[in-house]
Amino acid sequence: MLTYTIISGLLFGLFCSLMGIGLNLIFGVMRFVNLAHGDFLMLGAFGAYFAYTFWGLSPALALVVEIIVMIAIGALIYYAFVPRLLRSRDPEMLSLIFFFGISQIIQAIAVIAFSNNPRSIVWSALGSANYQVLGQGFQESWVVSALISAIVIALVYVYLYHTKIGYATRAVMGSQEEAASSGINVHRVSAIAMGIGLALASAAGTLSPFLLGSITPNMGSDITTTSFSIIIIGSLGNPLGTVLGGLIYGLSSMFMQSYVPSWANLVPYLLLFLILLFKPSGLLGKVVRHA
Amino acid sequence: MRKHLLYGAIVFVVVILLFTLLPSVYSNEDLFFQAMVYLALAQGVNILYGFTGYLPFGYVGFFGTGAYATALSITLLHIPPIPAILIGGLASVVLGILLSPLLRLSGAYFAIGSLAASQMVYYIVSNPALQNLTNGPYGINLESVYQPRASYITMIVIVALVMGVVIYIRNSRFGLALQAIREDPVSAGMAGIHVVRQRAMAWFLSAMIAGVVGGAFAWHISVFYPTTVFDLNISIFAIVFTLFGGVTTVLGPVLGMFVLYGFYNVIGISEPQYFQLIYGVLILVLVLFLPSGMVSLMKRRGHYVP
Amino acid sequence: MSPKSILVLEKIVKQFGQFRALDGVSLELSAGEILGLVGPNGSGKTTCINVIAGLYRPDEGNLYFQGSKITRHSLTHSAHMGINRTFQVPKPFKSLTVRENLVIADHYAKRPHPPLDELLEFVGLSSLADREAGSLNSSQQKLLDLARALATGPNLLLIDELAAGLNPSELDKVAEKVQYLAKSGIAILLVEHLLGFINSLTKRVIVMNAGREIFEGDLETAAKNPEVNAVYLGG
Repeated sequence: MLTYTIISGLLFGLFCSLMGIGLNLIFGVMRFVNLAHGDFLMLGAFGAYFAYTFWGLSPALALVVEIIVMIAIGALIYYAFVPRLLRSRDPEMLSLIFFFGISQIIQAIAVIAFSNNPRSIVWSALGSANYQVLGQGFQESWVVSALISAIVIALVYVYLYHTKIGYATRAVMGSQEEAASSGINVHRVSAIAMGIGLALASAAGTLSPFLLGSITPNMGSDITTTSFSIIIIGSLGNPLGTVLGGLIYGLSSMFMQSYVPSWANLVPYLLLFLILLFKPSGLLGKVVRHA
Repeated sequence: MRKHLLYGAIVFVVVILLFTLLPSVYSNEDLFFQAMVYLALAQGVNILYGFTGYLPFGYVGFFGTGAYATALSITLLHIPPIPAILIGGLASVVLGILLSPLLRLSGAYFAIGSLAASQMVYYIVSNPALQNLTNGPYGINLESVYQPRASYITMIVIVALVMGVVIYIRNSRFGLALQAIREDPVSAGMAGIHVVRQRAMAWFLSAMIAGVVGGAFAWHISVFYPTTVFDLNISIFAIVFTLFGGVTTVLGPVLGMFVLYGFYNVIGISEPQYFQLIYGVLILVLVLFLPSGMVSLMKRRGHYVP
Repeated sequence: MSPKSILVLEKIVKQFGQFRALDGVSLELSAGEILGLVGPNGSGKTTCINVIAGLYRPDEGNLYFQGSKITRHSLTHSAHMGINRTFQVPKPFKSLTVRENLVIADHYAKRPHPPLDELLEFVGLSSLADREAGSLNSSQQKLLDLARALATGPNLLLIDELAAGLNPSELDKVAEKVQYLAKSGIAILLVEHLLGFINSLTKRVIVMNAGREIFEGDLETAAKNPEVNAVYLGG
């Protein structure tokens, strides 16, 4: 039981890292909380569902297509709205309300288009074998999902640390003004980050039918809060800290589900609440310096 | 200053008269009751967000706590409804005290922290493990004390009190101090304001309003479930009504509630998803083009808005 | 400690992480006196004001105000005791009117001070009393900061860069006002970049560098001091 819980917690945790990383990238670059994060994830999940159910396409393929589409959508949303928001008197608050509006619109359209019925993909869509890890059996879909999550996160790492635009992105995360004064096109970097952030959300969405169960148009709000917990635990504005946050979150929720199932729902909110109160900068966060 | 108070009083009288007289014109008391619930909650959000700058996504936590505390006082302790409603308000203040460390957070951190807190309360109240106390997910039945007329009148009184409080804040130095704190806590401290104390007063006040409103709601509706009174849409409605009308004024939340909730009742109930869509678009329009709400149209022309 | 000193700092240390912003600062100030505080950016001038005002708590050392020790005070306590300040970047309550800015300070600090109309007149903002503070320009906002501080009836006034951005004729007027306040008995600690402005106001100046005092005296003598010259010429 213990080994099983730990391994499934780690597998689930890798997925959770992927779930949070896009939200954190956007926060890091723009200092906006994308309240529609979970709704973009939901769109990714429905994309995978329709691709598999109607055309028999593998969710892994849907994931690649969705990433490309979402980067374009994200950049579009950025250029259409964000510069105007940044000029307003209270960008932080207004952007929060703005993304809340986006979230409402996505949910409404999703209900109109997909109806409120829960849908699910047969778990064998990502492979039906049963893996043996340390003497414990795991569904292939979990193992494959965790593997895909790890690969996508590794790609984010390569992007941030081994490409030119990635360097620029990290510079903008450090300080928008300094980045701008050293000749970086902050809007371009931010638009791409927004696109990648949404793409990562939808990528997590394609895997979500296997890890989170059936999907509905209204699943987004809970996922946004859960993702927010994950990135807070890691550290806000540090995308790779999200991996730590995801693993801690995955492990603790598996432990709760194994040992005190009726209180498992409380985990994300409790963790979020405690971290906000006692270490708002996250476990990997730096101490804030005045003056 | 006198004149400003007079304008506030006019808004007050109009609102109270409307809710007293409307049921005899159009016999849908439940609709007007709901409208009063949202008006009072919107004013509670106004006190917190408009005057102190804390956006409480989890405001419904206080509403649900008030509803449950009232209901359990009636069912378990056999306290009459009106004192039970006061207990509901008190319970929310206690929750506010427990959650007051949240006030150390600012901006989005507070908004999401308060959301997490309200979800925690919901998962605790609705937990099957607490079925003996809260009846878990199976809800509450108050039919033995069901008196729609009395609960309606109680709600009018609550709205009157809440409106009175907001008019006071709008025209008092306490209100100025809250706005000063919102603008710049360091300067506010330097002006001699006890920043932490005044902020906490606004927080407890707005918690108490939501608690009392939740209690009256529980009495009026009489049968409800945790999902009914901890529905996040309640927070969201109250926030959007307030923002749409315009914060930091007495009139803003009143306008926002009448326009949007009226609109909701025309199309929202039968086709909620279309309403949600229009709602979402309205929010975008609001944020992008009218970030200070409807009343800013009057303010721009140089009119005073109570 | 001289008996007439209203403010005494004894070896104040303030540390941010590894960085010592104040490294053992001592100074004394009496009623009606003007003390200038100069030094390059990052030398600890503003941190010194922030510690006295109660924004930061010192890590070591003692702080006395009117004879009593006040090492653990908040901004609000300071205002109530009669310590007030202006800010380098002015911080008025922008959505309130100019008059409301003063009404708040008057109401909450609960200390005797000249009538608000006189204060508005004094800083030259009478005609703008009903305007939103956010609509004032930056030097008007600095004057509003000053008026708000005066509305709390301070005995000690900490002025952080009042002169920056003013033209010469405005400078003269502001200098007159500061003189007037000192004559009325308020002790003034003046942080300033413009040495000429300080020189016109006081002969007593402390030069700071890297969180320490390196010189105390008048500016002419300071100009001859090799250490001061080294700091200012970056040598």
